[in-house]
This record gives sequence, C-alpha cells and structure tokens, in this order.
Amino acid sequence: MKELLTELLMEDKTLIHVPFGDGFFDIYHSVVVTWIFMAVVIALILFLTHDLKVHNISKRQAALESAVLFLRGAVSGMLGEEAAGYTDYIVTVLIFIGLSNMVGLFGFTPPTMDLNVTIALSVMSIVLVEAAGLVKKGPKKWLKGFAEPMPVVAPMNVLELVIRPLSLCMRLFGNILGATVIMELLKHVVPVILPAALSLYFDLFDGAIQAYVFCFLTSLYIKEAVE
Amino acid sequence: MSLTALGAAIAAFTGIGAGIGISIATAKATDAVARQPEADGKIMKLLLLGCALAEATAIYGFVIAIMIILFS
Repeated sequence: MKELLTELLMEDKTLIHVPFGDGFFDIYHSVVVTWIFMAVVIALILFLTHDLKVHNISKRQAALESAVLFLRGAVSGMLGEEAAGYTDYIVTVLIFIGLSNMVGLFGFTPPTMDLNVTIALSVMSIVLVEAAGLVKKGPKKWLKGFAEPMPVVAPMNVLELVIRPLSLCMRLFGNILGATVIMELLKHVVPVILPAALSLYFDLFDGAIQAYVFCFLTSLYIKEAVE
Repeated sequence: MSLTALGAAIAAFTGIGAGIGISIATAKATDAVARQPEADGKIMKLLLLGCALAEATAIYGFVIAIMIILFS
C-alpha cells in the first residue's frame, strides 16, 4: 500500500530537464500531458470551425452550434444575468477539467492529479471572483462587503478568501487521486474485466461530476460577488 | 506500522459523516421532486452543490489518511 502511494505521489514528476542558468528548468509530467491534449483540442476546434456558413449549414456545424449553445446555456444559467460576461471563462475551465479528468482513459496520468494544477486553477478562480466583485462594486463598496452582515464576522469573511480556493483545489485533487488509487489497487486484485467497468464510473462519470462541481462553485461565488 | 494503520483507519471514519449527509440530502431531494416534479432542475442543482460540500469532508479525511501513511 505504502509503495503504491509513494509511487503515485512522491515519484519525480519531472519529465523534461531544460538547462537554465546554473540549474535546471523542470517541465512536469502534467504540463506535457496538458500540451498533448491542448494540441488535440485545438486541432478539433480548427476542424470544427473551418468554413462556417449562415445558410445551408453542414451537419458538423449544426453539431458544433448545439454543443456550444448547450454549454453556454448551462453555465450562464448558473451565473445569472448580472455575471453573464464570465460565461466563456467558466466554459473553458469546464472543458479543461472535464477533459483532463478523462485523459486517464487513454492511459495518461490525469493532470488534475498533480496538486500544482488544481492549486493554479483554484487561485485563478478566487482571483476572478474577487476581481469581479471589485469591478462591479468599486473599491470602497468591495472593502465594505467584508464587514457584512455585521462587522463582527469580518475575520470570517477574510478567512474565506483562503478557505474557498483551498477546498476547491483539495476537492478536485482528492477525488481524482482517490479514483486513481482505487483503480490501481483494483488492477492488482482483479486484472481483467472489472477495471473496465469501474473505469467507466471513475474516469467518465466522476470526472464529469467533479468538473461540473468546480465550475458550479466558481460561478456561484462570482454570482455572490457581483450581487 | 500498526499504529500508523490505525491512525489512517480513524481518519477514514470521516466517510461516515459524508455518507449520512449525502443520503439525507438525496432523500429530501427525492421528496421534493415527488412533490413538485416541475422544479427538478433547481433541485438537482442544489442537490449537487450540497453533495459536493458534504463529500468534501470525506475527501479531507482521505487526504489526511494518505498524509499519515506517507509522512509517519
């Protein structure tokens, strides 16, 4: 058990060593996997969006339009009317997390299993949330917002700035790590058939749910910040 | 090693709380949908939010258990 955990968590995550100054500039495994699926997604986008038309649309364009409308509709429903301008960012994050959770299907390690990736995502979220509040309310009202509903709870509101991103990143990381640990243990016990069935749950269903939850919470915070 | 294992097992008990929390939330959501089937979109959203928050405690327990095993 300990060996497995050590292998998953403590191994050297560096894939490429680039000489930089006196030492090395390390490129992590998760970054390279992200590059690979970024290339795939960009190729897919270029394929889907070339020669779009207004009349006599092709099947490809119809599928693309309905997918984009579905994602935008789902996200802007969560964001509400006032914060609708942040829809595209949330959709991007949704696609990124969803795909990086499912990349385990193709035999890669999910990038979201690296704590650095989830920390980066959650810091981006909290910065966006606070910036949204700042832009909407102006600096004075934004600072006053910390003392609501009573000045007594101000420390709690400041503490929330740390707790929110911490729980966002730990939830994503813990879920993906837990799924991977369970799958690895299962592969030791039953090497055939059963892992395939459970992979459907852990890689597809759980990955999609976690991506949805991350975006849902982020958009809920944004909605709360701009009210 | 045995005490380490015991510590990790105790940390895994956080799963009880998350299980009870999610089951209560699901039971109430089922109730609510049975009463008002037209509101199921909103109920589903709230249920997912509640489940995510309740499940976070279990995840914290899991992360702590892993820390106990790795860093003891």
